[in-house]
Amino acid sequence: MIMLDKYVCLEKLAARRSNEIVVTTMGVAAPWARLSDGPLDFALVESAMGQGPPFALGLALAQPGRRILLLNGDGSTLMCLGALITIAQNPPDNLTIVITENGTYEVIGNCPIPGAECVNFETLARGAGFSQVYTIESDDDFDVLLPLHFEGEGTRIFIWKILRAGEPVPKPQPYIRERARRLRRALVGK
Amino acid sequence: MIEARALLEEIRKNNVTHVVGVPDNGSRRLYELLREDFRIQAIPVTHEGEAFSLASGLFLGGKNPLILIQNTGFLESGDAFRGTAFNMGLPLVMLIGYRGYESMCAGAEPVDTAATFFEPTLKAWNIPYYMMHTTSERHLISTAFSKAAEASLPVAVIYPGECV
Repeated sequence: MIMLDKYVCLEKLAARRSNEIVVTTMGVAAPWARLSDGPLDFALVESAMGQGPPFALGLALAQPGRRILLLNGDGSTLMCLGALITIAQNPPDNLTIVITENGTYEVIGNCPIPGAECVNFETLARGAGFSQVYTIESDDDFDVLLPLHFEGEGTRIFIWKILRAGEPVPKPQPYIRERARRLRRALVGK
Repeated sequence: MIEARALLEEIRKNNVTHVVGVPDNGSRRLYELLREDFRIQAIPVTHEGEAFSLASGLFLGGKNPLILIQNTGFLESGDAFRGTAFNMGLPLVMLIGYRGYESMCAGAEPVDTAATFFEPTLKAWNIPYYMMHTTSERHLISTAFSKAAEASLPVAVIYPGECV
């Protein structure tokens, strides 16, 4: 099977990104921060594992004029699967969810996630009620589908089938309280 | 018993934009009223932990959410509460049903351990809270909003029984 290199995907995403809020978790947080680490880049990594989708939903509902890009891991997705149903009840047009699927909990040394050999995230997402779900395995497909990450009506879910990497546990600076203040100041000015 | 309509008025007074949570026997009537309210959007979630992260996103985006859950769900939500609303220092108000409160009275039949775990957990997690026994104490919701804003931390209002 052809797989994506997440570092290349993130570089392409960053090159196209303009004023979107980018929420990252676990194995994506540090590499994304190396590409962009401004007020609109929010690493949700104080554990609270699995809470990326509802957090991004809250931002999307509060900021309908701005797109939210959530870059979430497969283990994180499994940890709060019900959130897909919460979002599917009333999917905002300005929310894009990326599930980076490598079959492991990368930041603790690539221990396999439950169901790594059989879980189908596209089926799970469609079963939750999403119709715009795309599984991407090749660079060519990624390049074709990249623009759809930034546009369209209704929440879209992209599953990036990525190669395993070796990111350590992310430790973003400053502390999350200051990052939260920074994001809110950028969005609402206080 | 607490009148749900009076609670809703108190919630409106605090300019709440969204109510996020999971209905239970205690809050069912309030959720019914919220479904008919065009000023406040009720967002049911599948698991109480989601309520904390969703409300945190709403707040950072400029909205004023309230979390409405039962104590059992609060206990389930520990890491979501800690990793989002608490660590971010957000002034969120939680309205939490006190399942099992009556069972702690002398001579009462124990129901389960939800009640006995509840207040010790609030204290252990350093969460300021107010006990609302009756409709006449609904002003405690406004007090909690003031306290949350002052402390930049989540604050709870806990209530036994069912809203009617």
